Amino acid sequence: MENEFTTVGKRVVRSDSLAKVTGEAYYTADIKLPGMLIAKVLRSPYPHAKILHIDLKRALKVPGVKAAISGFDTYGIKWGVFRYTKDHPMLPTDKVRYIGEDVAAVAAVDEETALEALSYIRVDYEPLPAVFDPEEAMQEGAPQIHNEFANNINIHVHIDVGKVDEAMKNAFLVREDTFKAAGEAYAMMEPYAVVASHKNGFLDLWMPNAGPHVRAKALSNLLKIPLNRVRIRHINSGGAFGGRSEVSPGDLIASLLSIKAGGPVKLALSREENAISTRQVHDMIAMVKTGMKKDGTIVAKDYRVVYDGGAYSSTGPIATSVPFYVYEECYRFPNVRYNGYRVFTNKGIRGMYGCHGRAFLAGNEAQMDFMANELGMDPVEIRLKNGLTSGEITATKSKITSCGLKETIQKSSERTGFKKKWAKTQKFKGIGMGCVAMMCGFPMGFRSGSSCYVKMNDDGQVTLVTGLVDNGQGNESLAIQIASEVLGVPMEDINLINADTEVTNLDPGAYSQAATFVGANAVKVACENARRKIVSIAAQKLGVREADIVLKNRVAYSKKTPDNKMPISWVVREAFFRGDPIVATGSFFPKIDFEREWVSRPWGQMAGTFSFGTSVAEVVIDRETGKVTIPHFTAAHDCGRPINPMAVEGQMEGSIQQAGVATIMEGNLWERGFLLNPDLLEYKVPLACDMPDIETIIVSSRDPEGPFGAKEGGLTIRMNAHSAVACAVANATGTLFRELPLTPDRVLDALERKKGIKR
Amino acid sequence: MKTMKVTFRVNDEKVTLQVRPYETLLETLRERLDLIGAKEACVMGACGTCTVVVNGIPLRSCLVLTPEVDGASVTTVEGLKKDEKLHPLQEAFMEKGAVQCGFCTSGMLMTAKALLDRNKRPTKKEITKTISSNICRCTGYKKIVEAVEEAAKKSI
Repeated sequence: MENEFTTVGKRVVRSDSLAKVTGEAYYTADIKLPGMLIAKVLRSPYPHAKILHIDLKRALKVPGVKAAISGFDTYGIKWGVFRYTKDHPMLPTDKVRYIGEDVAAVAAVDEETALEALSYIRVDYEPLPAVFDPEEAMQEGAPQIHNEFANNINIHVHIDVGKVDEAMKNAFLVREDTFKAAGEAYAMMEPYAVVASHKNGFLDLWMPNAGPHVRAKALSNLLKIPLNRVRIRHINSGGAFGGRSEVSPGDLIASLLSIKAGGPVKLALSREENAISTRQVHDMIAMVKTGMKKDGTIVAKDYRVVYDGGAYSSTGPIATSVPFYVYEECYRFPNVRYNGYRVFTNKGIRGMYGCHGRAFLAGNEAQMDFMANELGMDPVEIRLKNGLTSGEITATKSKITSCGLKETIQKSSERTGFKKKWAKTQKFKGIGMGCVAMMCGFPMGFRSGSSCYVKMNDDGQVTLVTGLVDNGQGNESLAIQIASEVLGVPMEDINLINADTEVTNLDPGAYSQAATFVGANAVKVACENARRKIVSIAAQKLGVREADIVLKNRVAYSKKTPDNKMPISWVVREAFFRGDPIVATGSFFPKIDFEREWVSRPWGQMAGTFSFGTSVAEVVIDRETGKVTIPHFTAAHDCGRPINPMAVEGQMEGSIQQAGVATIMEGNLWERGFLLNPDLLEYKVPLACDMPDIETIIVSSRDPEGPFGAKEGGLTIRMNAHSAVACAVANATGTLFRELPLTPDRVLDALERKKGIKR
Repeated sequence: MKTMKVTFRVNDEKVTLQVRPYETLLETLRERLDLIGAKEACVMGACGTCTVVVNGIPLRSCLVLTPEVDGASVTTVEGLKKDEKLHPLQEAFMEKGAVQCGFCTSGMLMTAKALLDRNKRPTKKEITKTISSNICRCTGYKKIVEAVEEAAKKSI
């Protein structure tokens, strides 16, 4: 079976990598258009203050300034992903709600002029009491950040399945723990940038984004410009990690400035602006209560999770839910209650993150290890006992189809000698395991599906048109590889046009892990439809049956008599002669329960399929300093089938860095609404010297619906690597962690708690 | 504002420019010479995406003032290719899957080039230590280290 494919399953060179190693790949800040102006943004110095007056007059008088705007130049329409979360004005006129919020902006001939003009903008504020802690924000009498949301509760996700209280009462062992975690920085290498060009009533935009179609719709609404006149163009993205999924204040600002100035405008944020004013990651507090039978079976789970939501809703309902779902898609809970609260505070906007929910996920896993130990079981046994298997239904009624969870647990534990190391811990050494499942797409209305258009050109080359988005993970190359396999032409013969709202069709984007299962599936269907036409003509011309035709290396030939052959380009030309050129469309729409809603109806089929994964971390603790190092990390991921194993490994390795190593070093630090570490000197991201020796294991469960059996390629590790590290530290210290990241002071504290020394 | 005359070589071509005294090499390369391979990501020398090689030494071009490179020889990622042939490092980065979003790639390549130019057979440890001057947020660095090892093998 492994040899049946020409390119699928092979370690192919990514189609986008040549432009990236020669420095020719364009990113938004690299764009230069004739007459392009430079924009700068004036930001709020207050965490919470009324805007009394904004005066742009003096700024507009600075020579070289072509436009200046504030919220009073907008239609005052508030953005929200959902009907019930429309609370973000992008440029506020009533009050500011966090330090760094966009208040006014200018466009000028160069950066210096723009900065000078900013200094002449006068904004009168009346400071208001602010609130920074979500638990305090929920109390009666706390400062209200939005009038529409009482007690600052933005979202409450309430899930209640079975009889939790009764099951807890009858459980053999019950344990309750609370875990905290700081939000991390996305720290994508490319700071946010946007270029807007308004000409002849059309608005063209370039920016790193995970979904151009969602972005275009939002801007069409905010600017009252018809959707077909807002065109988000394709551009390379310097990393997203969940942080570039929805419209950003900068998009509105650059667009408005371009409309006013009548020319193209570029807004490129600094590293610090990127950290304080684009999306951030939720800080969280997770109370986890678990009931188990004597044999280790989980009988009940009870959760109260508080997410620090910052000033606006963003993807709030999704963010409040996802940590729970990736866990319930992995383990069997007959009775479960989840109360997730997302609470407004006077801090920056928070969105989804690739590693979102570490306090909850690592908390669940570490607590399970301690309960297992009490019952005389080890982490491997307890996970195998409670892990879901193919054909089972989750607590909130999602059916699991292909499932390689068991295999990921077994392979990673065998490879690391897990059981032995866990049971006989050497002093200050530990091993830990984390598991999770990942939905491959989730309900996003009519944007949940994707479609692709393919045409064969007269030289036999192929043009693919798809909404599929690449934020660096290799989705473009994935689409080309799949088309190459189906059409029998090499990857270099395939030209891709993608993520351009003028020409591409709707697609979920590089969001919700849907690119492979949904976007690439549509590419496959379109190419299969084109293939059928090629095969039909080739069979006629070669005088054989259609089933006997093989397309490979640009040639159509008979399987039985390979010398009976013709170039595919000849077939294409014949099709032109017949007045029926080889063009085809194809689409894929996942089987999801579209009645499902994050808050009002949290049950039903979440996704077309789920991926599964297990991480194993081995740690060493310096007894003097409390510093943790991670010499070895092993990750096993069930991606259905790897289309390009090298790309899947790359996703897993990056996840070990961004979720795993981050567990000992990454976290945003706040002081009364100020982000203390907005730059890359103060916020340390793992470097090459911080990385463990990595071993990746790819498990192929062959999804019945995925393209060539594929599912998403690596995100489970991004959602369980933190668990593995936290569990390993718990194994080494003999105590459960209380707060992430596991910085030396917290680890020392854990060691002393174990010894019974009070600090 | 007074400007200064600066003459230096960029990718083996001589350039003479009038620059402001506080103009950084990164600005000069990107804004005046349209060499956009070096990227701006932190402007404080923390990340290495703007790394170029000056007289054989990898430098963060955001921290170098253009007047400082007067008389020097600067190599950017655009100068890695020779006679339309990719540098072994460029080939190895592609073949080993060391490129994801690509934003750090130019800087990473230039740091690695400077290493291989002064040490033809670096150990894995030396490679890891050297590229720890540059941040990559996507790859976990494993495939980058492998690519540099591979390029070193090929270069000999």
